[in-house]
Amino acid sequence: MKINQTINKSPQFRVLSEDQIEQIYFSALEVMERTGGVVYHEGALELFKNSDALVEGNRVRIPITMVEEALKSYPRKITLKGRNGKRSLFLEKDMVSFGTGSDLPFTLDMNTGERRNTTYKDVSDASKLVDALSNFDFHMSHGIVTDAPNPQTYDRHQFMAMLENCTKPMVVTSVDGEGLEDLWKMGCLIQGGEHEFRLNPMFVVYIEPISPLKNDSTAVEKLLFAAEKRIPAMYTPCPSSGATAPATIAGMLVQSLAETLLAIVMCHLKNPGMPLIMGGVTTLLDMRKSTYSYGAPELSLASAANTDISKWLNLIMFSTGGCTDAKILDEQAASEQMMNLFYSYLSGANLIHDVGYIDHGTTASLESLVLNQEMIGMVKQFGKGINTDDEHLALDLIEKQGPGGEYVTTDHTFKYWKEWFMPQLQDRSDYETWVKNGSKTMGQRLKERTQHLLDTYQPEPLDEKLRKELKKICEDADKRHM
Amino acid sequence: MGKISDALTKGNVDELKEVVQQALDNDAVPADLLNKGLLPGMEAVGQKWKNGEMFMPEVLRCAKAMSGAMDILRPRLAKEDLGSAGKMVIGTVSGDLHDIGKDLAAMMFEGAGYEVVNIGIDQPNEKFVEAAKEHKPTLLGMSALLTTTMPRMGEVINSLKEAGIRDQMAVIIGGAPVTQEFAEEIGADIYAPNAGSAVDLAREYFESKA
Repeated sequence: MKINQTINKSPQFRVLSEDQIEQIYFSALEVMERTGGVVYHEGALELFKNSDALVEGNRVRIPITMVEEALKSYPRKITLKGRNGKRSLFLEKDMVSFGTGSDLPFTLDMNTGERRNTTYKDVSDASKLVDALSNFDFHMSHGIVTDAPNPQTYDRHQFMAMLENCTKPMVVTSVDGEGLEDLWKMGCLIQGGEHEFRLNPMFVVYIEPISPLKNDSTAVEKLLFAAEKRIPAMYTPCPSSGATAPATIAGMLVQSLAETLLAIVMCHLKNPGMPLIMGGVTTLLDMRKSTYSYGAPELSLASAANTDISKWLNLIMFSTGGCTDAKILDEQAASEQMMNLFYSYLSGANLIHDVGYIDHGTTASLESLVLNQEMIGMVKQFGKGINTDDEHLALDLIEKQGPGGEYVTTDHTFKYWKEWFMPQLQDRSDYETWVKNGSKTMGQRLKERTQHLLDTYQPEPLDEKLRKELKKICEDADKRHM
Repeated sequence: MGKISDALTKGNVDELKEVVQQALDNDAVPADLLNKGLLPGMEAVGQKWKNGEMFMPEVLRCAKAMSGAMDILRPRLAKEDLGSAGKMVIGTVSGDLHDIGKDLAAMMFEGAGYEVVNIGIDQPNEKFVEAAKEHKPTLLGMSALLTTTMPRMGEVINSLKEAGIRDQMAVIIGGAPVTQEFAEEIGADIYAPNAGSAVDLAREYFESKA
């Protein structure tokens, strides 16, 4: 037998060396002590005042020891269980999962091709598709319910639309602390109680600071509530390089990490041991169009580097992929989505969100979700790597079939071709067959497939009694906000 | 004038201030400095921006230079000399702490010669009304990034009406979830889909009213 062997079970990919990660981390620590951040929340400021941090007005500067102490108390693994009862989402180092993004104000209407406001129905449809599509592991709302009775309670209705049509674990957004409390109550009802939710959380709550280094009262309110109840949460900086962060990726990563570290300390002060997840939509402001780009190659590079940092810090990572700046689902969309999908996957980020976003994070598209189902299949195939054991090296087979032989009919082929990626929508037929089948473009096939899924797929319905109880929480919220 | 236009299009803040001060010391007519030097310079910048020959950081540096020059020039100008370059009050509505889009727009307007009063983020409705009363702007700008804070913009417009000052200014709004349709619905005059186009859209609006 051989010794000194290294076998790559999967391809290896990283952007930053350990020394570079340390450079970024130590720089972020410097930001914590020298620059700090601003916090617009009295309760949080009180927490900082009662600690070693220096509080001047809303400005908080944090000693490094506090940061490093806090960093030790976060979980390296979180497991989520959807309402389907399956503990299906294992968030741990290098375990990758894919899901949609949330709260897109517009929808590219599948039937008219027009962009319009997103409705309850659109969120329901997206939820149904996510439930149906096997490569989506978790669900965010995709769109934002703009036709709720009141914008201040839309989050409960949105969650309801998601719950009715999707059984997978979720990442949810809420209007404020009160909204989050309602969503959490709904989650507890589904899981069977507070302790059950704690052991088997069904969602992570998405919260974001405002770059650079700013924490608004609503975000902090949600974060502190999550800390109190130990609800898994991600605090996701969304810096735009060149506008709300330095124009260099290194500088943006330093600032973004400092924004995360501030939350790390804040949650630790509130309630040590909450399941906090690191995040980041780290991209740039386009200097010609003044938009926050979801298709820039820099997004892929910065996100992969951010994931390298998260692994070094032993934090779970919420990253970004499968998104584009293209206004419709065209060639630009496919190329951009594929690129950021691929690199976020290779980086080993745990939750890859915004899959299916078009129009730089403002427009939802159902067909885009179906396209990404196919593309995720492709990147996952790449991730399988190459097995080099004797059976796979196939020396005996090569000898047996010999020069001029064939492999199509061998048992070996019959066994192993099934490991290949099987396209569902990509067309690999010859030209004549393609013409005979109607000369359909990928766009046409996507539309047909999407419509077919919407017409035929039936998500497992909510239990009627549970449904009523959940509805009541929504209605009570509406009454409070009349 | 060539020197002024040159320093401006280079986006050199200090150089432009110096050149303008020198010109004033040499008894140049302030209105000429504005109309024959600065404004044509910014117009050239604007054209290049639209053609994709200049980029945001360059344009904003020019705008910054323009704004610095205007600080020197403004006290020496009569009101009528200012022409279309009016006064603007701009802010982000209550509940919203996002400010990059609003700040970019403010800088663009300063670049166009506007005197801009940036009242900041998370501003309650009455602050907009107070600022409008105090500064008497020709243009009031509001931004919101969140669908939950968007309705505040309509409320501000209603408050302006109640205060009886709505007709004294044009209202321009923007922000990612905002649309032309929404702008019309709440009775705003101008909708700008991005910071870069806001100045042009405002100019078109005022020209159509003139």
